[in-house]
Amino acid sequence: MNQNKDQRDDVENEEASEESGDTSLAAGGEALDLEGLDLTVETVEERISPSETNVFDK
Amino acid sequence: MIQLPSNDFPVTLAFPPQGHWTQPHLALPCLKAWLQASGYGDVQQMDLSVEAFDHFLTAESLTRAAAKVQQRLPLARFDGDRLPLGQMRAWRAAAESAASARSIIGRVESAKAILRGQDHPLDSDRGFWDPDRYVPAVRTLYHGLRLVSAAHYPSELTPHNFTMSYSNDSSEDVLAATLDEQQNPFIEFYREQVMPRLLERKPRLLGLSVLYGSQLIPALTLARMVKAALPDCHITMGGGFLAYIGDKVMSAPGMAECFDSMVFHEGERPLLMLCEALRLGEPLHDVGSLAWWDRADPEHPVSVKNMAAHPIKLDDAPAPDLDGLPMDKYFSPQVVIPYDVNRGCYYGECTFCTLPTVIGPGYRTRSSETIARHVVELRDRYESTHFNFITDCMPPGMIKELPEQLIEAEAGITWWADARIEPKAYDAEGARRLYEAGCRKLLFGFESATKRILKMMMKGQSLKSVVEVARNCTDANISVTFYAMVGFPTETREEARATLKFIEEHADIIREVSLQTFHIDEVAKTYKQPEQFGIRVLDAPGDLALYHDYEADVGMTQEEAAEMFEEMMASFRRNLAIFSGDNIFYFMQKSHYFLHLAAGETPQGFSGRCADRTSARAEREADPELTVSEGLVTVPLGFSHSDAVRTLGDPLARAARPDFLTGRYVRDADRVAEETLPPLDPKQRFLLYDPENGEFVELRDGGVRVLAALREHGTLGALVAAQVRAGASPAAIDRLEQFAAELHRLGVLRAAASTSPSTPVLASARG
Repeated sequence: MNQNKDQRDDVENEEASEESGDTSLAAGGEALDLEGLDLTVETVEERISPSETNVFDK
Repeated sequence: MIQLPSNDFPVTLAFPPQGHWTQPHLALPCLKAWLQASGYGDVQQMDLSVEAFDHFLTAESLTRAAAKVQQRLPLARFDGDRLPLGQMRAWRAAAESAASARSIIGRVESAKAILRGQDHPLDSDRGFWDPDRYVPAVRTLYHGLRLVSAAHYPSELTPHNFTMSYSNDSSEDVLAATLDEQQNPFIEFYREQVMPRLLERKPRLLGLSVLYGSQLIPALTLARMVKAALPDCHITMGGGFLAYIGDKVMSAPGMAECFDSMVFHEGERPLLMLCEALRLGEPLHDVGSLAWWDRADPEHPVSVKNMAAHPIKLDDAPAPDLDGLPMDKYFSPQVVIPYDVNRGCYYGECTFCTLPTVIGPGYRTRSSETIARHVVELRDRYESTHFNFITDCMPPGMIKELPEQLIEAEAGITWWADARIEPKAYDAEGARRLYEAGCRKLLFGFESATKRILKMMMKGQSLKSVVEVARNCTDANISVTFYAMVGFPTETREEARATLKFIEEHADIIREVSLQTFHIDEVAKTYKQPEQFGIRVLDAPGDLALYHDYEADVGMTQEEAAEMFEEMMASFRRNLAIFSGDNIFYFMQKSHYFLHLAAGETPQGFSGRCADRTSARAEREADPELTVSEGLVTVPLGFSHSDAVRTLGDPLARAARPDFLTGRYVRDADRVAEETLPPLDPKQRFLLYDPENGEFVELRDGGVRVLAALREHGTLGALVAAQVRAGASPAAIDRLEQFAAELHRLGVLRAAASTSPSTPVLASARG
């Protein structure tokens, strides 16, 4: 099995999903339902562990 | 002194993974110098830790890692109706790899070049000095190691640690880990990159330096492979971590299959004696500080421990010899030379400190004249003016004398070191002379702002003197770092918060904090006299166990101390400039902040620029010129990545992994965590990886639709105009712009100009 290919497929699939269906509506000049869309943005600040704060050690 | 022909007794000294990656470690250069000064002319030293980092972080290795991840952790495997805690870490690794692997593979070489200052011939134009190039480069390397880790799931290799599902507490676990091809990334690394060289060289003696618990399994892995391939090579191990658990290792079944002997404490004299005994074919009984296996009956090796050797007179020891280390592989633009000004601690009273056990008895120092002479030699030999003086602390006399000697010798160096609060030595004039002699950063053992705790610790310092010393150093433009401890026996939350408050109230003179949680190991006074500290030490399972849990009637429990660590760290991230936002990477890469100071930046200037950088990012707005970051990758997920990361960050979940510092597991933690932390329900989410920033962001379907539209229209301004034309309300446009501004702050959207940063703020001091 070509694992790299699998990975490419994953990425290509998601790229395809962006370009298909609903996501193309706005590109065609139609209004996005901006008030109805869920525009939540989530990030996670990486936790800093004790070993990473110990400049003496590591 | 003997004089051997160079090929008569080849010795190889190796530093196994994992240690820090920015500068050489000191132990091997000291041993090499000592052996060579004693006539052993053929001493090779290998920093296998930085070699491993360099090897794993190549496009070729990462491509192999990505393929392994696809094979071992395909995302499709996790498409069930729930994601339990037991699968969450693997799923996270699979999701992040799917989103980031290709970008990381494409960028890893340039990221390494930036950290090494090899990206531009002109120093002032190098990305290392420009935070907008430096931080993404560091992130890329961190994510590269996540990919390597995912390929060897559940092992985790970071720039700061290496842990496996095997516990360091158990010899059975440790030995099994040395044979696990799937989880142990170093087996293949050694086989391909190291063994061919050793087979060609055929050393008579291989010495492995094990300073950290993270090196135990990698060291034994290599030892086992060499033992099998080169049965005539004597393999010895030594180093700080083994000073703690060496006796247990030497008593554990199966260890004799991996190596032959172990040196306790300081290595110079025992290693020379060992070389002599092996070269002359003499028995090992007289080799000081050596434990070894008597193989008179090969089927039943017997562990023998010799008398301790006398420590060396440090002032007679030659300067460390760094020849042969892979200087171009360390992840720094300029080599920072480690140099031992003294060994041991002249104070030696702190009740939590176990370093005297590691270093060996007594306090010894080089004279200031010797230090200055060596520094000049090393400066010229390695063409670097940057030094890290390895010391627990310098005594007041040396603090006064050393600057004079360095100035008189026209050393022209910059350096940083650990230090103890000594108000008379670090007075205003003393600090000024230290700066003049090249001192740019000092790290003081502060520990706590509570007098009661300081008294129990026997720190012998007052808060008044702490402030005085920190202010004098700051006024002299020497950056001050405090070591602080949370969870010392009987410490309450209120007392820990008082320490936090004290530090933050003095943020103008304390630039960095190295915060640690308290641990009890078997050589600590708190272990030997627990009643004195109001605690009961619990038994630790495992024949290599070093660290112990404890119970206290007063003060925080261990779990509460871990929570308090999080609370304090979160507060530092908000209130200390160098800890804010992604500036934290300067702190986390040993010596990198120092190199900015060495280049002429002041602590105040650096802090100010870090703060400006964080606030400039927070203030980013919905610029009409915003475009989608080039190369942005979006991967659809069946669960929420941020939910998973939050759950895995829960102290209960973290306890199910080996402890950061000790490498051991909390008993029953996985069961308790699984019972307490609910599985994730399916959610349609999209994980974005922005290769320009090296950051992950999670969006929902609506956000991805807007991004697709933005990509089609080219700029935010064009999209807004189109939406207005299509009849979007002002509220809708406002919502769109808020969304865009947030993505701009996170780097997913970029103003056209920001691809080439106009203000490399941290580089300004370099002109």
